[in-house]
Amino acid sequence: MKHKSIHLYVILNCLLIWNLTYSQECNLFLKGKVTDFHDDSFLIGALIQIEGTNFFSQTNLNGEFEIEGICPGRYILNISHPNCKSKTKNINLKENKIFDLKLEHHINELEEIIVSDSRLSRTRKSVQEVLVDISEINSYGSNTLVDALNYIPGASILKTGNSIGKPVIHGMYGSRVGIVTDGFRQYDQQWGPDHAPNVDFDSFETIQLIKGAAALKYGGDTSAGSIILSSKRKVLRDTLFGTSFINLESNGWGGKFGSRIEKNYSNGFYINGNFTGKRYGDFNTPNYILSNTGFKEVDFSIKLGKDLVSKGWNLKYSNYNLEPGILKASHIGNVQDLFFALNSSEPSIIDDFTYNVGAPNQRASHQRLTFKYFRSFKNDVKLDFGYSYQNNKRKEFDIRRGGRTNIPVVDLLLKTHNLMLGFSNIKMENWDFEFGYNGLIQDNFSTPDTGVKRLIPDYIKFENGIYILGSYQESNSFLWEWGLRLDHVFYDAKKYYYKSVWEERNYDVLFNQFETGTDFANQILVNPKFNYLNVSAQTGISKKISDNSEFNISYILSQRAPNPSELFSDGLHHAMAAIEYGNLSINPETSHKFLLSLSKTKPNYNWSLEPFISKTFNYIFIEPTGLKQTIRGAFPVWTYKSTDAFLTGIDLNYSQSIIENLRFDIGASYVYAQDILNSEPLILIPPLNSFQKLKFSPKKSKWTFEISNHISAKQNRFPDSNFIFDYIEDGTIVSKTVDISESPSGFHRLDAIFSLQIRNQKNLTTNLRLIAQNILNSEYRDYLNRMRYYSSELGRNLQIQLNFNY
Amino acid sequence: MKFYTKFKKAKILFLAFLFIVSCSKDDPDAVNEQEFISNVLMTIESAEGTSQTVDWDLSEMNSQTISLKVNTDHNVGLRFINSSDPTDVEEVTLEIIDEADEHQVFFEFADVSVNVTSASNDTKVGSRGVLLNSVWNASSTGTGLVRVYLIHQPTNFNATTREGFGGYNDVSIDIPVSIVE
Repeated sequence: MKHKSIHLYVILNCLLIWNLTYSQECNLFLKGKVTDFHDDSFLIGALIQIEGTNFFSQTNLNGEFEIEGICPGRYILNISHPNCKSKTKNINLKENKIFDLKLEHHINELEEIIVSDSRLSRTRKSVQEVLVDISEINSYGSNTLVDALNYIPGASILKTGNSIGKPVIHGMYGSRVGIVTDGFRQYDQQWGPDHAPNVDFDSFETIQLIKGAAALKYGGDTSAGSIILSSKRKVLRDTLFGTSFINLESNGWGGKFGSRIEKNYSNGFYINGNFTGKRYGDFNTPNYILSNTGFKEVDFSIKLGKDLVSKGWNLKYSNYNLEPGILKASHIGNVQDLFFALNSSEPSIIDDFTYNVGAPNQRASHQRLTFKYFRSFKNDVKLDFGYSYQNNKRKEFDIRRGGRTNIPVVDLLLKTHNLMLGFSNIKMENWDFEFGYNGLIQDNFSTPDTGVKRLIPDYIKFENGIYILGSYQESNSFLWEWGLRLDHVFYDAKKYYYKSVWEERNYDVLFNQFETGTDFANQILVNPKFNYLNVSAQTGISKKISDNSEFNISYILSQRAPNPSELFSDGLHHAMAAIEYGNLSINPETSHKFLLSLSKTKPNYNWSLEPFISKTFNYIFIEPTGLKQTIRGAFPVWTYKSTDAFLTGIDLNYSQSIIENLRFDIGASYVYAQDILNSEPLILIPPLNSFQKLKFSPKKSKWTFEISNHISAKQNRFPDSNFIFDYIEDGTIVSKTVDISESPSGFHRLDAIFSLQIRNQKNLTTNLRLIAQNILNSEYRDYLNRMRYYSSELGRNLQIQLNFNY
Repeated sequence: MKFYTKFKKAKILFLAFLFIVSCSKDDPDAVNEQEFISNVLMTIESAEGTSQTVDWDLSEMNSQTISLKVNTDHNVGLRFINSSDPTDVEEVTLEIIDEADEHQVFFEFADVSVNVTSASNDTKVGSRGVLLNSVWNASSTGTGLVRVYLIHQPTNFNATTREGFGGYNDVSIDIPVSIVE
């Protein structure tokens, strides 16, 4: 067994022996390797057969095969693998041959993203998705998620300053965008627009962005779409490899450092570790320092498991810690302060540069433990089982009186248990099915030690969901797929309401059954219990029009139960100078969405066009509903309500090689969003935006140069949320409008990247990148940045990035 | 067989998960809001011996009118109180005095002209009076209002307009003022 080849002589018959004895010339051999078309990993168990004979071989752990004793002649080779598209190859065998073969995964595979935990395939074929490699994302600079999504038409970022960013897909964010890591939904306090997803993006290898609630396996409530983070498949051989990067930046005078090391064994066992650290001081705009905007982040994870083709398991622990500062000038007392901020070109507080962060700031930590097991049966049916525990701590600090600044104003502990069980790859002729179950128990605790009314109350949430997905494929050119999911959501909350609020909102009549009879001073304890049953579904077809063009159409129905913030919010939002109230009367929202995609891929150009249209009934949103007098002055009251919303938009992408070494890319997207019942635009919808990229990559040389331009138009469609307050000017009272609605003017931003590969040793490759962002140092404000009332966006930033692969 | 036992384990785990008792949460402790100010209490004593108390109450919102006599000194005392829990009334003024270095009271008048100076019994930081105790003198008769500010962390303590102070408002309330002969 020198070659370790698995020669299956079981059915080797007389023919071969006869052949061997019949002719001395029949002593040729065929050798080679079969690898994955996408990531060059070895394919194990691929079958290589010579058509019309009994000669065959199966690849070993290193993807190698060997067939001996073949007579010279013309043959047809059949190469097949359970997970891949079969291939045939004509050969004319005159002498011994060694050659390598590549196989591509089934395009009809109704696989989830993660097969064997890491092999990637598309979530749903009839829904367009974007797959990005993290290493590619890194090349754009340090604020990985933020900058990466800028290059995906249809995706954008809702920011609070520059260290807190939330993904926006088709104009929606928060609970409408699902984030899936390691096969489980991420549960942090994702409802808040100023809460960054508590995920270390650097510890994953690929990002998949799915527009629409097509990833039914993970949930049916994310009508905007999902972002799925995963690792690549494991290599079944003894290897030890790692990557490290260091990134230094001039804006914020900081950087990040990360390292990943992985050890694989040929028996399928693997262990890897990951570390990322970031530290930045105050960032700056072209003209001033953004005081108190530095941040630090420390993340690590460790994963071990065993991955064979037909079965495997893994265990992963990850720990994420982010401590961002919030622009000091954004801490305001009332609408008058907001009025001053809006009318001032600079923040009211500009201090010298520092790495120190004081209040207002946040501290978020997310710990996660996941266990997964999978197994394929003889008939290829695959069982997946997994459990995950997530522990999310969130603290928000504010400038407080009486030495209380060190006591957080928000202090939440969210614990989530998840369980999943799924059966996939159930094949019946042209049909393919998958079904499964997800369960969730979530417990939120809001400590009373803050001395501030709880923003989110204590609650327990139970969720049970079942799904079934199916697809029908006659040929490689046509596919029909569908999916159905049912979710039951149950909330059991305990919350104190001010008696005045409880009565003012008529809850004492509507929700009398929630009153517990316990009260404290002027507050009353209530125990709201809500049950929701949600249905979600998806169906679509994918059709190849010609060899290089494809057409997809999909309809998605999704239902989402209101989140705790929409139900229970109760308090003052400092940066917005707004009192926010949840609404117990809110019903789940139901969204209908049609997605269409047309694409063409040719060697020297490709394009895609993706329009969508959607209507959401009971679309939950927050809007100003009046002014409330408090001891700090008058505050606008924002209350969650529901309406019917109509959204439509288009994303397009075009890439063309101009000359051999020069490629031009352009992407653009537009969303139109209207509140139908109130006949006004929806708030915070990304304006028309586009990027253009020119990349020069000379052949045979190891460097590339890329220049890109981002254009964002002014958002002319926004609702009027302005309010009027009395202002004392020169000894008389005048009415002033606080214009929080107006969008900033459009902008463009120019970036450049120079990348050079330095290969100093055989086992070490080094990449050097020089990145310049906002080269022209232009000053602009972004409609999707909630800090736009106070400051403009970052000025020029120069980065040096070194990547090591070993 | 080995797999079968593994699968059984998974099934047991799965069932256990489903039947984890749907225990309800314990009753949370109520939060007695700290730093909260529910009442602003003003005492106005004229040099002629008349005295008036104005209590601005968050729940009532109605406030009495401050009556001043023209060209007469009035000692105005200011207190901030948290009475949201009637069994535990807090004198927030004490906190302001403790943190006098980062607080400033500011009176902004509309339609009336009143001169405000720090009183001799005022809380002082160096030569700056916090104006918890102040002397008011109106130069002409009329009716208008006073906006009472308690500013936390002002960037400039000597401003003449609210905008000039910077910082942010812990208190900003309007009280009608009437100045008579």
